This record gives sequence, structure tokens and C-alpha cells, in this order.
Amino acid sequence: MKKQLGLVFFPAFDWAISPTHPERQERLLYTRDQIVEEGLLDLPQIQEYKPRLAEYADVNRVHIGVPAISPLITEAHLVSAGGAITAVEAVMKQEVKRAFALVRPPGHHAMRMVHGTRGFCTINIEAIMVEYLRKNYGIRRVAIVDTDVHHGDGTQDIFYHDPDTLFISFHQDGRTLYPGTGFMEEMGSPNAFCTTLNIPLPPGTGDEGLHAVLDGLILPALADFKPEVIINSAGQDNHYSDPLANMAITAQGYAKLAEQLKADIAVLEGGYSIEQALPYVNVGIVLAMAGLSYAEVVEPDIQRCPGQSAATTAYIQEMIQKWQGIWRARHDLSRQAKLAAGDFWHRNRSIYYDDSGIYDDQRERVRMCPHCVGYHIIESQAEHPGQGLVSAFAAILPRFACPQCRKDGQDAVHAAKRQGRYQHYFLQDKEQDFLEKL
Amino acid sequence: MLLGIDVGGTFTDAVVVDDNQVIRHAKTPTTHGSLLACITQAVDQSLIGLKSSEITRVALSTTIVTNAIVEGQLAKVGLLVIPGPGMKIENLLPVPPAILSGYTDHRGRKVAGIAEHEIRAAFDCLKDCDAFAISGKFANRNPGQELEAAASLRQQAGHRHISLGSQITGSLNFWRRTNSAYYNAAVWSCFQEFANAVEAALRQRCIHAPVYILKADGGTMPLSVARTIPVEAIFTGPAASVFGVMTLACPAVPSVSLDIGGTTTDIALWQQGLPLFAGQGIAIAGYPTSIRSLRLRSVGIGGDSLVRWENNHLKIGPQRLGPAMALGGEYPTVSDAFIAAGLVNFGDRKRAEQAMAQIGGASLSFAETANFIIDQAATQIVQAINALISEWTAEPVYCVADLVNTSAFKPELVIGVGGAARGLVPAVAQKMGIACRLPAGGAVVNAIGAAVARPTMEVTVRADTAIGEYTVAECGVKAAVPRLRFEMPDVQQLGKQYLLERAAQAGIAVEATELLQQEEFHLVRGFRTIGKIMTCQLQVKPGVLTTISGFSGEGWQ
Repeated sequence: MKKQLGLVFFPAFDWAISPTHPERQERLLYTRDQIVEEGLLDLPQIQEYKPRLAEYADVNRVHIGVPAISPLITEAHLVSAGGAITAVEAVMKQEVKRAFALVRPPGHHAMRMVHGTRGFCTINIEAIMVEYLRKNYGIRRVAIVDTDVHHGDGTQDIFYHDPDTLFISFHQDGRTLYPGTGFMEEMGSPNAFCTTLNIPLPPGTGDEGLHAVLDGLILPALADFKPEVIINSAGQDNHYSDPLANMAITAQGYAKLAEQLKADIAVLEGGYSIEQALPYVNVGIVLAMAGLSYAEVVEPDIQRCPGQSAATTAYIQEMIQKWQGIWRARHDLSRQAKLAAGDFWHRNRSIYYDDSGIYDDQRERVRMCPHCVGYHIIESQAEHPGQGLVSAFAAILPRFACPQCRKDGQDAVHAAKRQGRYQHYFLQDKEQDFLEKL
Repeated sequence: MLLGIDVGGTFTDAVVVDDNQVIRHAKTPTTHGSLLACITQAVDQSLIGLKSSEITRVALSTTIVTNAIVEGQLAKVGLLVIPGPGMKIENLLPVPPAILSGYTDHRGRKVAGIAEHEIRAAFDCLKDCDAFAISGKFANRNPGQELEAAASLRQQAGHRHISLGSQITGSLNFWRRTNSAYYNAAVWSCFQEFANAVEAALRQRCIHAPVYILKADGGTMPLSVARTIPVEAIFTGPAASVFGVMTLACPAVPSVSLDIGGTTTDIALWQQGLPLFAGQGIAIAGYPTSIRSLRLRSVGIGGDSLVRWENNHLKIGPQRLGPAMALGGEYPTVSDAFIAAGLVNFGDRKRAEQAMAQIGGASLSFAETANFIIDQAATQIVQAINALISEWTAEPVYCVADLVNTSAFKPELVIGVGGAARGLVPAVAQKMGIACRLPAGGAVVNAIGAAVARPTMEVTVRADTAIGEYTVAECGVKAAVPRLRFEMPDVQQLGKQYLLERAAQAGIAVEATELLQQEEFHLVRGFRTIGKIMTCQLQVKPGVLTTISGFSGEGWQ
């Protein structure tokens, strides 16, 4: 009989970014203690899985590593991405109803082009999982709900031009927290308009505000989008005790979210209150996903959790209404955005790699093609500490690209290579499933 | 001289081992009404012509605990749990528990106290219970609240037995510890009676040697220890067999051992001369416990397995409908195939050939049919061996190095014991493309295993230098870390000290200790290292007291 929940648990007890970094060996120690002590792994509803190692082909389906991906990552990254793949396999092979990849290191700040590590992330394990799912199981429409306190800017970046991926992120307002993005105005490029939904929440948001957003916005948007698969980027740093953020969500709030979201696959992201929050939040999510009672999963120090202020409640209500209006008008707004963009949509961005100290100046172009979602160009000039400038030019050919876009994208990267203004040239062909370094 | 006794489902065997030799062996039917009867009979038979005073150790593999559980002869147990926040556990236990407030967290810190009045109220509802069990979440990290609750309960419960989860194991898993404590309390008085009877019977025979009881992991425990943790004496038969294999034919290479009896084949895996242990404790009546056992798999194929056609497929086992046709049975069995193929020499060969004719019809010769049956049976056993290996390989690991640096387990040898080994093991080995061994003595391998299995015992030391304390759950100890700089080697040293002390108290002579597992984590708070959490679990190394190189007496095979 199919079990309720597949749990890929991999705490990577021998891996750290650096000895005292939040991403260190100790991070999931107390979570392991609690999960094993409760006996969750012995429940007939739960099947534990050992993660497989992801292959470089799985990573290159998503990322463009500069100069290549292998020198930028460790085996631990391949295990955590492999853990997400193991989770998706367990669900797709119908061994389990849902799966939770409780793995580290995390990935949601890793963007398509990778120069180093930012926000503790080097490769995006959810995105790798999604593209694996598409490649191997022919799934097209996917929704990712990012419930980490930090904006999932990496996942947003990877799917910003993809109308088949609905990316929803709620997080502490970017004006008050890393990475400083994730505002409502970031809605996807014109061919994928309104498949990116950002819900920046004020500091101090509690369970009440979170569930208002879930009921008023996230669940209705999911119902309209009709994804074949729902993925939860299950960061746990909205918790009231998290040392790196200022929110007020509890284990109960997170467990109820997991219960109502009914994600097919959840993948752990951040969460650095390793003793006060993670043991309880994870037990709550595991129980909720396994269809069991989580009523008694309450933090011992719950009295420390501040209540949500009336002003915050009102602010959130107003934002939900504003979003509902945008959502209703999304088809019209999308047409307007396409008209406004002309032949090419483009933007310039500066991307900071906090863990590696890299500043990347990026220019992106997407062709506004009437027949497909258009080829995509990334030009990158990254200042590496001690290494100087590392530059790259990449053309990305999307799935279902029209012949013209395939040809123009290929021509663009060859032309750039002839001009020779960059150090590295890449062609990422998502249709033919390869990444070529020219 | 070592006396080993194995109480099996059908027969009870006894052997006497002296100087690497099995000098006596006896077999008698198991008397299910009173196990003592068959035990004393086997002992008496095996001691004929020997001086009972020369027996230096008695070791017993017995079904007393298993039977009590299977037959539902369990004492009425009052179960008290201290679950704190977390999963709802009350519907997952063998009996509905009384829930006490109080909580010890993952670091072993008391977060909420227990309430005396709740224990009194619980007792009021559980007054008529014969025994009690108390189990607290994270009591392995700090047994304090279990001990407090026990002290309070003791005032009302009088002399009645109280089992504590933390005293059964220092490992994590509240659910398993709770089930273990419950079953320990439930079989406690039944085991005391049995132990008293065994001691009295041995005294009568002037055997004053220390008595050991086999555990499910193949180690033995002194009777005094077994009296406090009788639940450890469950499911010992397969472990006895495996330790018998160790003494008869300890494999130096990665191996598979098969104990092929009348109805089942028990499979064990071997590495570096030791059988593999199971990753998790055994389940009792469907309830997971923390009772350690060997990594075994049983498949329903044995000498008496029924052979028949079903929907054009040859089926073997798991049913048994009496003995082989060659031995007067009515239906063809695997043993008939052995006889017809000339692999063994017993029973009525003509009848065995009739059995082959029933299966093979006129188109196949007796030998062809027999070989076909043996091949089918061996195929099923090989499949079960591969399943056991895959199950082991799929077991999760939590470190990158362990995940990346795994090498596949490739057995190089098959060792066979048990009545039907001779007929099947060569076919299994041939299919696997490796060698096989059929050590002599395989027919009383369980009693031999019990006779020679070393006593084992474990302790778990966990030091938290940020809190400044360490605990040894199995000993009920919580104390201050002795000095400021306290490192992993110190924890190991401390663990060894407690292990040796605990072993000495139980009267166990320790040859060697080994580290079962260890973990070390730096505690970082606010980007500063403030201490370490170090855990190490040590045990008295399992093994055998002597290897067996020969035998005397008749009927040896």
C-alpha cells in the first residue's frame, strides 16, 4: 500500500560552509534528535529514503556555472539536490503520496548563472528537481510555494520567463531583510507575466497573517493555475525564534500551512533557530504531511512568541486585496506588458554573492516572440575578490522554442564569441537538454 | 566445560563443550506446557557420564519470553508516559497510558516539572496492575524525571516491579523505549518464576556455575541482568544459530550464512568475522522496540516445504503438510528431491522417486525433476539474500562521506547449517557463483551457539560541555563534566570506565570493548563556539568464548 509520506532525511552532519556559519554540521542535529526520538521514522505512514547523488547533467539542466559548475560545489550539494530528486521519484513512482526532502545545504537563492555561493546557496535544489521532473515524467505545469522568510530570489530568477511555473513567495519585506528583493512589482517577464507572485510581509507577521495570505491569495491562485505538481520550498525561518529574521510564525502555523497547501513535495530551505524552532517545526510539517495529528507539537517556549499587531493585520489585509485585484486583471496586464516591451524585454541587475564576496553586473534580454516564450540572453560581468573580473555570455533556448528563436539564440552566442568581449560563452538548450561551453 | 541449551519450537538441544570439542549432545522434544521439563531432561541426558561440578558456565537460549508474548500470558502493566510536546503517542502503545506532565528537552534539560498528584491519580486508575512501566521523552538524555516518577510511584506500588525506558537503552526513540519498557514489565514476573525454577533445578544437579541467558543480538547476559531486563531474552533462536556458525566456521571473507530447517531458511550476512546487526530494534506483536537483534531474513523454504504445481508454476513452500514422502508423508517435499537426487541418504528412496514422478510426470527423469525442484528452491533463497543485501544498502546515512564512499557488499562464501542445508546450500552457492561450506555440527548449532556466545553489555555516554554535564542513561547517571577541557577521547575513556564497572557489577569478564558509534558536534551560538556535544556508545565486544574444531559422540553430522 502507498504510504502517506516519503521522508528523505539528510542532515549532512559532516558538512559546513565554515565552522561557525549558520549552515554548519549542528544545524539539523536537534531536528534529528526530535524526529528519531518521537519515533516518526517508524510510523507505518512514513517511509524514510536515502538520498541519491544528483548528476552534473541534472545540475546543468538548470544552472550555468562560471567557469563551470563542478569547481563551485561539493559532494554535499549533489547529495542535497539528489535528495530532492529522490523525493520526487518516490512520489512519481507512487510509492508515497507526498514527500519531504529534509536536506541541506539549501538552494533557493541560487540563480540560473552561478559564480559562487549566495545566501548559503550554490545550486537550486528545487529548480533541479523541477527540471528533472519535466525531463523524466513529462510534467509541464508546476507551482512552487516558497515559505522561507527570505525572498526566494534564485528560484524566481530561474523561472522568471517560464509561464509554466507559478512561483509564489511570501517573506519578510525586502526593505528589512536579505536579499532585499521580492516586491509585488516583480511579476515575471511579459511572456510569463503573473506567474511570479511576491508577498512581502511586514516584520512581526504571525500565524494569523500567514494564514490570511494562504487563504486569500495562495490557495486561490493555485486553484486557478491548476499545476500538475505543487512544491513547497519549506524554509522555517519565519519562526518567532529565528535569529536571522523578525517574524512570529509558530510550529502550529507551519504545520497547518503544510496541511492546507497539500504540496506533493516539500524541500527544506532556511531556518536557523536550530534548537527552539527546527525540531518542532519539522515534526509539525512531517506529521501534517503524513496526515497525522500535530495538535500537540508546541514549542516549550511558546509564551515568547509575540502577537501580531493590529496595524500588521490591516497592512496584510490591504495587500491581499491589492493582489486579488492584480490577479483578476492579470490577462489584461500581461497583454499591456508585452506591448510595452517591444521586440526585446531587458533588465540590468547587480547581484551580490554574500558568501563569496562577488558582485555580478548582469544584463538580461528575452525576445518577445509571438510563437514561443523567446530565447534568453544573459551577459554577466562579475567582480571576484582576488580574481578580478570574470565575465560570461550565455544564450538559453527555452522548452518549446520556435525554430527562429532556436536559430537566433545560437547565432547570438556565436556572434558574441567572435566579438570576444567575454571570457566564457555558454549555450543552454533546454529543448535538447544540454549545456555547451563554447 | 560449557553447557549450552537451546529450547526450540520442536526440539530442545543441549551440548557440552570442552576444550574446543563438543563432547556431548542431547536432543529431546520441547515440552510446551513446562519448559523446565525439557530443559532438565536435555541437561540430564547431556551430562551422562560427566561430573556436573565441572560445568563452568550454563547458557540458555529459551523461548520463555517469546511464548509469553505470543500466547498472551502477559502481566497487567500500568504504563505511565511523560511525552511533553510532539506526536500524539497514546494510540500507538500496547495499552492506553497515563499521561504525566513534565518535559525534558533534546539537550536533557528539564523544561517542565512532573506533578506528584498526577502520579497518585494515575495509580488510582492502575491499582490492580501487576507491574508498571515509566517512559519519558529524552529520558535517555536525562533519566531524572523517570527516576522521580518511579520514586513517587514506588510509595504506592510497594514491591511491584517498575520498568524504566532509560534503563533498557540509552538510544534515542521514545516510542521504542516505551514499548520496550512495557513488554519488559509485562514479562517480568513470568521470567522471574522461570529463572527461579532453572536455578533450583541446576542446584539440585550440583551445577553451581553462573547462568547466562541469550539475547536477540547473540550476546549473553548473566541471569541477574536478565532478571532486570527479561525482554532482551526474546527471539533468541536465530541468534543462537548465527553464533553457532561463528564458532563452527567463522568466515574471514564477506559471507552469507543459511540455517535451513524444516519450514524456513534464516539468512544472516557476515563481514569481518561478525554477523551484521539490524539497524533498528525488533518489533514485538507489531510494536517497534529498542531490542537489538541481528540483521536476519527468514524465507519460507525448508526440507519439509510442500512442492506442487499452481497455475503451471512450480511452487515451493511456505506451507508444510507433514514430513517428506520418503519419511512416510503424503505429499512431495523438498527433502524428497534431495533424496531422489542422491544428495542425502535417508528415508525410503522409492517413495522419494514416487514424489518426483508426481511432480515431473513421465517426460522427466527422477533426477531431472529433483534438480528442477532444488533449483527453484535455491532461486527463492538467492532472491531473499539479495533482498536482505539491498535492504541494508538502502538504509539511510547522515554524513556525506558515508553516502559517497559506500562499497557494495559482495559475499564470497555461503555457509550452511540446519537439517536441510546439505541439499540446498551447494545449489545456492552455485547460483551466486561463490564457494560454500557445510560445517559439521550443524544439527545442534543453536545449542552450540548458546554454549559459547560471549556476554555483552553496552553503555551510552553523552557529554554536553556547554551545559557542563554528562549522562549515562543505562546506569541512571547524570553528573558534572569532570574538567574544563573535555574531548572525545575523554568521553570514550569515561564510557569505557562505566562499561567495565557495569560489567563487573554483573559479573561479566571483559575481553575487549568496542565503539558502536560516536558523534561530535560543536555548539555555536552567535558565531562563537561555546562547547561540544559528544556521544559515544560502547559495548563489550560480542563473539564466542572458543572455536569448535571437533566432536566426540555418535550421531554427529
